[in-house]
Amino acid sequence: MTSITSITTSTTSTTSTTSTEPAIGPAELADKGFKRLAMHVLIFVIIIGAWELAGVFNQLNDLLLPAPSKIIVKFIDLWFISQRIWWHFFVTMYEATAGFFIGVGIGMSLAISAVVSPVFRRYISPYAIAFNVTPGIAVTPLIIAWFGFGWSSKIAQATLVCFFAPFINTLTGLLYTDEDATELFRSMRANKKQYFWKLQFPSALPLIIAGFKIALTGALIGAVVAEFFSASEGIGILMQRTSFKLDIAGSIATLISMSLMGLLFFSLMEVLDYKVLYWKRDSRMQQISKKRKAAWNM
Amino acid sequence: MSLLSSADSSAALESDSQSQRAWILTKHLLLFFVLMTLWEVGSRAGWIDPLLFPAPWGIVKQIGLMYYVNGNVYYHFYKTFIEAMAGLGLGVFIGVGLATAAALSLRFREYIKPYIIVIEATPRIAVGPLFIAWLGFGLSSKVALAALVCFFGPFVNTLTGLLNVDDEAEEMFRSMRSTKWQTFWGLRVPNSATILMAGMKLGVSSAFGGALVAEFISANEGMGVLMSRYTYVLNMNGAFATLLSITFFAFLLFKVADVIDYYLVFWRSDKLMQAKSKKRKDAFFKSLAAA
Amino acid sequence: MAAVAQAVASSNKPQASFGDVVIQANNLTKAFSETVVALENASFTVKKGSFVSLVGPSGCGKSTLLRLVAGLIPKTSGSLTVHGKEVTEPRGDTGMMFQRPILLEWRTSVENVLLPSELTGRVTNEDKRRAMGFLDLVGLKDFEFTFPRQLSGGMQQRVALARLLQTGADILLLDEPFGALDEFTRERLNLELLRIIAQFSSTTLFVTHNIAEAIFLADQVHVMTPRPGRLAKIIDVPFTRPREISLQVTPEFNELVAEVREVLGGDH
Repeated sequence: MTSITSITTSTTSTTSTTSTEPAIGPAELADKGFKRLAMHVLIFVIIIGAWELAGVFNQLNDLLLPAPSKIIVKFIDLWFISQRIWWHFFVTMYEATAGFFIGVGIGMSLAISAVVSPVFRRYISPYAIAFNVTPGIAVTPLIIAWFGFGWSSKIAQATLVCFFAPFINTLTGLLYTDEDATELFRSMRANKKQYFWKLQFPSALPLIIAGFKIALTGALIGAVVAEFFSASEGIGILMQRTSFKLDIAGSIATLISMSLMGLLFFSLMEVLDYKVLYWKRDSRMQQISKKRKAAWNM
Repeated sequence: MSLLSSADSSAALESDSQSQRAWILTKHLLLFFVLMTLWEVGSRAGWIDPLLFPAPWGIVKQIGLMYYVNGNVYYHFYKTFIEAMAGLGLGVFIGVGLATAAALSLRFREYIKPYIIVIEATPRIAVGPLFIAWLGFGLSSKVALAALVCFFGPFVNTLTGLLNVDDEAEEMFRSMRSTKWQTFWGLRVPNSATILMAGMKLGVSSAFGGALVAEFISANEGMGVLMSRYTYVLNMNGAFATLLSITFFAFLLFKVADVIDYYLVFWRSDKLMQAKSKKRKDAFFKSLAAA
Repeated sequence: MAAVAQAVASSNKPQASFGDVVIQANNLTKAFSETVVALENASFTVKKGSFVSLVGPSGCGKSTLLRLVAGLIPKTSGSLTVHGKEVTEPRGDTGMMFQRPILLEWRTSVENVLLPSELTGRVTNEDKRRAMGFLDLVGLKDFEFTFPRQLSGGMQQRVALARLLQTGADILLLDEPFGALDEFTRERLNLELLRIIAQFSSTTLFVTHNIAEAIFLADQVHVMTPRPGRLAKIIDVPFTRPREISLQVTPEFNELVAEVREVLGGDH
């Protein structure tokens, strides 16, 4: 399935610089980093400033693009004054997280079954392909009909949207273990359990974690879409209400809040990646080397 | 284990694999048939709630109704198709455009990096209601949402493809004093073809999904609308029939993308390469004769 | 260093005395299908402590032969015994080293070396001492806790060698272990390999496609020809040990090279 390559590609960092610059020392690096940050901040300030200025001169239509100050006011109101958004935020986060865990659980279990039993694998593959191709979103009305208007339908939708990536990634990761390494293990007479835990699983971890990242994104989307359809709580419904009331500033403020949620999830996944896949980063390898040396006792 | 498979001579197994495949297909069909029968029986016996899972036969009848008797489903198909394709086109245009700019200019890449991260993290589909508020209930809001949802795949893949050229290939171009543009068109673009097509395929399903969601929120026509209406009146047969149609449709789109991929990136297939060789050879000699 | 070597040597359970036959093959044949015969009717004996090179172009069956001895693939016909017992599956008295180091990226060097001990039971302090000792032996002292990615290709292969020694096998099967490295590193590692093998009196089967290397390292050269894979000739190498690189320019050495080339029919 060609989706595999695109799955693993789209999760790697978006902009990779092919650097042909010479090596630079740490002091200069820090300086460079600071300069870069300053530049970003400056550009951002300029854009916002120009935008605000347009508002001051009444160039902006409040129904299209309200001035930044108005958006900030709404934002502060949502979060700190009326504090309406906290509960909605929590609801959506809960739905997405629950959907994530369930989806990952189902996805990985199916994958492991498919790895263990080639028969199972062969029989579910056409259904898996059909599933992959259907936009999971299309089922939303049905999910609502089945699970009702409460939280469970959102969780179910989140699960549905997000379970495929962990499934396919875990399956691929476990299945395509390095052949030579497999032969090495055979030559050392490893049994199935040892083979799984000492080789198959660790070598599949990068793909598995990549699957988690996609799943979390998907779960959030699933929860929000389900909320659009019918909910009384959640950021998705807040988004819908503010938009339909034509409270554009409020809508944008809600959108920004949603970005924050997305970024929160993203950071969590990055932390997981950083901690678990230590052998992909020089700095982490050095850290772990030291730790293992210290822990070595004979 | 790998040693064995790699040493197998393929010729001896040709006839074997054909009959093997036929047998595998039969087994799949058999399993499917058994599942359907169980479902049907379960429904009639009352074990399965008709509100949850309507009986297969009912769905089949509904499909017949929708496609042959009423024929209204074609129009809805058409509507969603337009929305998705327009959205895909726009999304690909934006995605590839941004990626190209980012690939050509390191500065630009640096500038947009934080914004890309934020956009990636945000569930872009959440912008749906906002688009509807801005663009109204018509076609444009659906296209816009589809474009927003699907542009990311082509963007990331194009960028990766354009940037990740073989170092030595790039050096070779430079050693022949190629300009930036020449390197771009002669090396980077063809090099990224495969990954670009993969991004497109991702985009196809995303665009379709985006269009559907936009329809859910507010529309009068389209597959999404059909889906939500049937479900609303609890016509489960209709809902399932629509869902199957959507699946089939999505599958069709995917296959089309596959075919385009196959023909565009011709250097992955021996047959295509042979055909191209011949065509180019003919064209070459023709141009010589003309000169 | 001597104490380490002693502790290490004493843990290799002696299976036979020097000079005994440890590997015996009679009309050993391996066919992957009716038309693909990787190895046909190979017959040979290998004595304890001897170094045997398997040399020939691709398709001559040398890697297949190695894997048959390792027990990784089943034979089609003929007999193959190691220490008097039929070879049917991978065993503890043979150990293999591949062209790629195949180190587990997420383990430090010493953890990679300990893998064989882990797989055969609990890891004891004795195992740990041996592992550290082997890493020292292959010249990787101070690199016990680095990760494979932080090591060069040559260093990674040294770790792989240490891992092989950790298995305690007295028959070493090496499939072009230094083939992927540059000439200089390869030469250096070959000399180190000879030094280590001399220390443990291991029996060694070494696959290569480089004729000079095959002769330089071995007591016996098994020359193999392709299509179908056959053991064409067994050539004894009389030179004494330890051997210097300068040996390779002597006329006697080059006579043997010519002899091997002749057997291979000049298409090497």
